[in-house]
Amino acid sequence: MEHFIAGTLTLFSNPVSILIFTGGLLGGMVFGAIPGVSMLTLAAILLPFTGNLSATDGIMLFSVLYCSGVFGGAITAILFNIPGAPENAPTCFDGYPMTQKGMAGKAVGAAVLCSAFGGTCSALLMMFATAPIANWAISAFGPPEIFALVFFGLAVAASVGSGDLWKGWLSVLLGLMIAMVGIDPVGGLERFDFGVAYLLAGIHFIPTILGFFAVSEVFIQMEKRAKGTTEAPKVNLDFPTFAEFWKLKLAVARSVVIGFFCGILPGIGATLAAFMGYNEAVRWSKDKTKFGKGELEGVVSSETANNAATGAAMIPLLALGLPGGALTAMMVGVFQMHEMEPGPLVFVNSGDLIWVVFAAMFFANICIFFLGWLQTKTVVHMLRIPFHFLAPAILMMATVGAYAVRGLVVDVIVMFTAGLIAFFLRRSGYSVAGIVLGLILGKVGEQTFAQAMQMLQYDFSGFLDRPIGLALILGGVATIAMGAWRSFVPKPQPEPVTAVSD
Amino acid sequence: MTHSFSGSKRFAAKFVLCLVAGAFAAAPASPGNLPDKMEKPNGFPERPMTMLVPYGPGGGSGQLSRAMAEAVTEVTGAALNLEYKPGGSGTVGMKSYMAAPADGYSVMEHIDDATSAHALKAKNPNPAEVFVPLVTAQITFSQIYIRGNETRFTDWDSYVKYVKSKKGRSTIANVSKAGSMERVNLKFITDHFGMKMQQISFDKGGPRYAALKGGQVDALFEQPGDVRGFLDSGDFKPILTIYKTRPAAFKDVPAMNDVGLTFEPLLRFRGFYVHKDAPADRVKWLKWAFQKAWHQPSFQSFNKKKFMDAIDSFRDTEGSVKLINDTAAIYRKAYKSMGLVK
Repeated sequence: MEHFIAGTLTLFSNPVSILIFTGGLLGGMVFGAIPGVSMLTLAAILLPFTGNLSATDGIMLFSVLYCSGVFGGAITAILFNIPGAPENAPTCFDGYPMTQKGMAGKAVGAAVLCSAFGGTCSALLMMFATAPIANWAISAFGPPEIFALVFFGLAVAASVGSGDLWKGWLSVLLGLMIAMVGIDPVGGLERFDFGVAYLLAGIHFIPTILGFFAVSEVFIQMEKRAKGTTEAPKVNLDFPTFAEFWKLKLAVARSVVIGFFCGILPGIGATLAAFMGYNEAVRWSKDKTKFGKGELEGVVSSETANNAATGAAMIPLLALGLPGGALTAMMVGVFQMHEMEPGPLVFVNSGDLIWVVFAAMFFANICIFFLGWLQTKTVVHMLRIPFHFLAPAILMMATVGAYAVRGLVVDVIVMFTAGLIAFFLRRSGYSVAGIVLGLILGKVGEQTFAQAMQMLQYDFSGFLDRPIGLALILGGVATIAMGAWRSFVPKPQPEPVTAVSD
Repeated sequence: MTHSFSGSKRFAAKFVLCLVAGAFAAAPASPGNLPDKMEKPNGFPERPMTMLVPYGPGGGSGQLSRAMAEAVTEVTGAALNLEYKPGGSGTVGMKSYMAAPADGYSVMEHIDDATSAHALKAKNPNPAEVFVPLVTAQITFSQIYIRGNETRFTDWDSYVKYVKSKKGRSTIANVSKAGSMERVNLKFITDHFGMKMQQISFDKGGPRYAALKGGQVDALFEQPGDVRGFLDSGDFKPILTIYKTRPAAFKDVPAMNDVGLTFEPLLRFRGFYVHKDAPADRVKWLKWAFQKAWHQPSFQSFNKKKFMDAIDSFRDTEGSVKLINDTAAIYRKAYKSMGLVK
């Protein structure tokens, strides 16, 4: 505890540190909320300048940016169906339908509370058990277990937002196919590039998500306006009540665990955490059909999980020197600019720095709660902007966002193509969410499957020696079997009411 | 006898001459060889230049490019904007760069992957022909690492025995894409020792290092600068340096000559390039700026942290062309023996 107090005092006793903390917090929120131009963009811009800061301030800036950036993207996901960052994509599934139902305030409020809660829990766990958790995670979870985790996630993906199970599975399989475009992640073979060199880089999920959600939504709204059936969303600033939250306590707790868990594993991170959190909410729900139609639990699950992953992602970085994603990889660069290497020696040589980072992440999550509350009360009014002003702005932001990912025009083409495809798919019972899940989980799944097979000498029975992997595989198989059973066995029809004659 | 003696003397003289010439060819150009200032050709550059990096900002190329851009700015006052275009193992970035105007305002970072890609498929451009190498800024060897607390084997000899006893079930983490530098070096090593092992490919550093640290694999193939933190903490221990002789920084680790390996080791190298068709006066100025920047104390300090001072890490334009062509020849020979090319 004394370390935490010392870290807090160091953080708030220096005006420069306070300024950097505030700048990181606001910068992350703003950049996180602009689609495509995410916190990573801001981080890449700031990276060279951190050389002029102290090591503590440099690392602290990036950790605060990480917390607030992951939260920031939820706002546009809920209000306009545009995820500010990939980790906010599952928030669209139920957040935007809530906006259409006039419950935007409730959805944004839930996102604020859950992001702050998930992030704070994760920061607390990070403070108390960094080294042991990090060592356990990398020992217990190798490629076979991560593949099994992805399989477990995919097993439920077919039931998210589709008309029926088969359309759900076709959607997921389409996502998996898209994930295979480009150079294969293990053998380096070129696949499905059709002679276009730019496709060798693969179909990136950010332009795809922007197309599926933002562009297709603009098309749909345009169609509604042409038909004269458009209806402006009602602006409502009601926060969720305590009773509503209390009903979701299990979903929140589950997402904290999932988010934390995904964050610890190098290469998994906040995006998968959000999808897994959402998937598990669907899996454990008694009524799966309510998801995708404006269910508060959907927003709560994904936003809790993605912010819970932020503190967790710092664990392998600080304890072992293992960056789990792009932002943590940039943080390695910040360490190195100050002639330090993240890893066990940081705890020995720079214990003060670690506790300032812990304190900064803890207080950043607390601040998200208050700043997010203010943001909710103001930003929801953006819904009052007439569609004919909003639509070009959405398309422009999405185009910039798609191009900014890798500076490739092909990504803009992919975005508009995805938008057009989603425009037709969304009216035919196929699941856009399923395609996105297939695309995101497919990339990790394929890589870890190939690695697992190499490790297990191409022998599936090798999973029998790995209890965690086996349990997850069996869980996934059981989920698929139950889904198939439900679709084959007709639901019992209610007894016809026979007229009773007197 | 006399003849023989005279022949030996002549041979010895030639040998010494070759050694001296070789040493000069390999020696880094001292800052003294480069003028302190060079006049900007017709005011070039009048605006910030772009440095295209075909990899992500967090990796080795991203870090090197930032360090070099800062050093170039220190030397010339000219600003460089970094543009990252990751994907396709650097192919997409190179394709993008080739489409950029050849006016000298855009330069590109690339690694030896471009050379191996050319050796594997002739349709891939030879970086020594389609570009002008401004400087090769990092050259490094690879090593094989085990965990610091490993008990099943502790050095190269016991590791070889262990791998043989596992009959193909021993695992090593690397970037084992077909024709990669890692896979070719390992092929030579495993062939020599009659070992069979399972190479597990991880395209990102974090999961690759986690695999060794967490005990998912037995060993790791990597360059020392990328795992410096693990070496300093004692988590990883090098058991073989894939370089002919022992570099001073790893004097206790056996090198190829110590274990009887005779193949020409493939090195990892990173450098900076400009379009071949860029105006000659601008190319000349860029060569001076990048080579001068390499000698800047700030850049030297960066390279030192990455163990890039363990062997000669500098090549000027001519040296880079030779390095690329020699390396491509070694790759081609290796690919033929691996059946990857005819």
